[in-house]
Amino acid sequence: MKKFAKILVSSLLAVTLAACGSANADNSSDDSGTDATSTSGVGFVERTKNPYEDEMRFAWIPTNATEANATAWGNGIREELSYWPNATLNVFDPERSAEQQAKIVSDLVAQGYDGIFLQTINPDILSASVREAEEAGIPVVCINMGTTEPHAALVSMTDFEAGQVIARRIGDALGGEGNVVIIEATVGAVRGVRLQDGFMSVMQAEYPNIKILDSQPADWNMEKAQNLMNDYLTKYGDDIDAVFAHNDQMAEGAGMAVQNAGKQGDIIIWGANGERKALEYIEDGIITGTVYTNCKDQGKTAARIMMLYLNSNLDTGSFTKTPVTKMPPITVDASNVDTITEDMRW
Amino acid sequence: MKQMRQETVRRIISLVLLVVLTGFFIATTDTFLSWANITSMLREAAFVGIIAIGVTTCIITGGNNLSGGLTMGMCCMVFAHLYKYTGMSLIMLVLISLLAGLAAGAFNGFVVAILQVPDFVATLSTGMIFQGITYVLAIRNQYGSITSEMIKNQTVASWGGKLPNGIYYVTIAWIVMSLIMQFFLKKTKTGTYIYAMGANRKSAEYSGISYVKIKMIAFIIAGFCSFVGAMFILGRNGTCDVTTGAAYSLQAISAAVIGGAAFSGGRGDMIGTFIGVMFLQVLRNGVLKFNMTTAQQAVISGIIIVLMLVFDAYYNEFMQKRTTRAAAIAREKEGKGK
Repeated sequence: MKKFAKILVSSLLAVTLAACGSANADNSSDDSGTDATSTSGVGFVERTKNPYEDEMRFAWIPTNATEANATAWGNGIREELSYWPNATLNVFDPERSAEQQAKIVSDLVAQGYDGIFLQTINPDILSASVREAEEAGIPVVCINMGTTEPHAALVSMTDFEAGQVIARRIGDALGGEGNVVIIEATVGAVRGVRLQDGFMSVMQAEYPNIKILDSQPADWNMEKAQNLMNDYLTKYGDDIDAVFAHNDQMAEGAGMAVQNAGKQGDIIIWGANGERKALEYIEDGIITGTVYTNCKDQGKTAARIMMLYLNSNLDTGSFTKTPVTKMPPITVDASNVDTITEDMRW
Repeated sequence: MKQMRQETVRRIISLVLLVVLTGFFIATTDTFLSWANITSMLREAAFVGIIAIGVTTCIITGGNNLSGGLTMGMCCMVFAHLYKYTGMSLIMLVLISLLAGLAAGAFNGFVVAILQVPDFVATLSTGMIFQGITYVLAIRNQYGSITSEMIKNQTVASWGGKLPNGIYYVTIAWIVMSLIMQFFLKKTKTGTYIYAMGANRKSAEYSGISYVKIKMIAFIIAGFCSFVGAMFILGRNGTCDVTTGAAYSLQAISAAVIGGAAFSGGRGDMIGTFIGVMFLQVLRNGVLKFNMTTAQQAVISGIIIVLMLVFDAYYNEFMQKRTTRAAAIAREKEGKGK
């Protein structure tokens, strides 16, 4: 009877995930091969641990543990796991190195962790390690960025779409004409690449008279972005009409540079993520807007999916496609920033 | 003979520390000694270890090499770029990547030995050049953004494989290369010249040993090691990005020093470096087992490495004083004899 119940739960889970994946497939521009479709041909495993009774060890490996969104995701995961008395969560920092991240995953597999939460730095480089984990029966639930190789689940923010939304907001605000500078993520960082691609796809197709004056990396870093913005202001002066930064921290840096130059309000500045400070800067008029995601809720969602798998007999290693859940993005500017209430801020 | 004893003592100390560290993790965790964990550790250590072979050789000459990991990244990207955009045969891809590694080594040698730029600054700068080349060669999508692409080739994938007993090919390559280099350094004339150059450049040059030639050899060996590491990285990951290899340079230097290589030159070997690499890997792997925060892991690892380096510095000073004292006593005895 117990076995029957487990198989029933597993089957329901498989169907749910497949449906969930299909529902998101149309919206996804994910080119990593982790698009949601079906989990056809899934297998089943006999799990030796009972999450209600046995000690469970989980790992959270963001791209960089010191970033605000990584902390928010981690807090969300931890909060959800706190409902499981024997679950512990360890955080590992690969310091933005895909190689280091792959090493950590391999180490954790060898040490028999029960589940891995991962924000991959590079979907291709991490594929082999994630495959190792899945083959060892360790579900890998990715946050924001999955791997080329199928894995248990991906709980993602929008990125390509966020870039498109920001491009339209800037394009409309400029009336289809003007000059934009871009502050990029670390060169090759996949989230940055997708934001940029989404932004450029709209700019090229819908706003041919908007010129991209310059696009340089500031490594996700506020101070570097501030320096870069100062350089832009020196180089292009009053020609700059708008700034697109790949994350909020860099938008904040740009905002401070613009403020120090006495041009606050003259230049449109958009970031992405929706961290607390960025929302405050929007309220203060230092930056124009951001694409907000509730990262804490994203972390909780990832943890719920993980525990669902570990309470089932579903073999996530047998998936042929990764089920994807996308968090709803909220485009925030001065007109609606107050709708992001205190409990939603991270 | 005295120098040999000194090296042996230093190596025994490193080995004892490695054994103590390993013993601690075995005693405190249940998964450390599993075969899966051992083979995994050996594989991860091997990538750093292969780079460390070249780095150690450079350190023995009295220099350094901060560009080992970045050369590795460049070799990976040369391979990936040509694979993506030219459709060359596998043999050509490997040969051109090999040439890239050797050319990077020769360039380092040129800057250090012929332009007389100190090794540290020279390889720091050339590393930036190699990383710049990696960026230039990076795979780009239709919007011009840097991305990566899987190398879908069975032969390349097989380089990341393992034997039926679980030992990875990269581990075997590391051990074989270490043994070959150990033999080269200890049993060949050129190896002896490398030590002589590091121990005392002036004396070596008075003896007719070419500084340029020795530096060139050391850096070209390092370039070759970076190439080998690059091929195994591609085998393991099936791709690369612009950060590939960047973290390995400093790890390789740390491993060499922990293993007994001295920045002053003339000291160190592959057995010591092997121990140093394993020390770092065991530490990293072992720390993962404790429920520590990221910050705690970094602090603990950092403290242990610093303690090792401080010990190394004190040990060197102690041995130097002992040698000086012994020489003074010998001179005194000689004087009394007259």
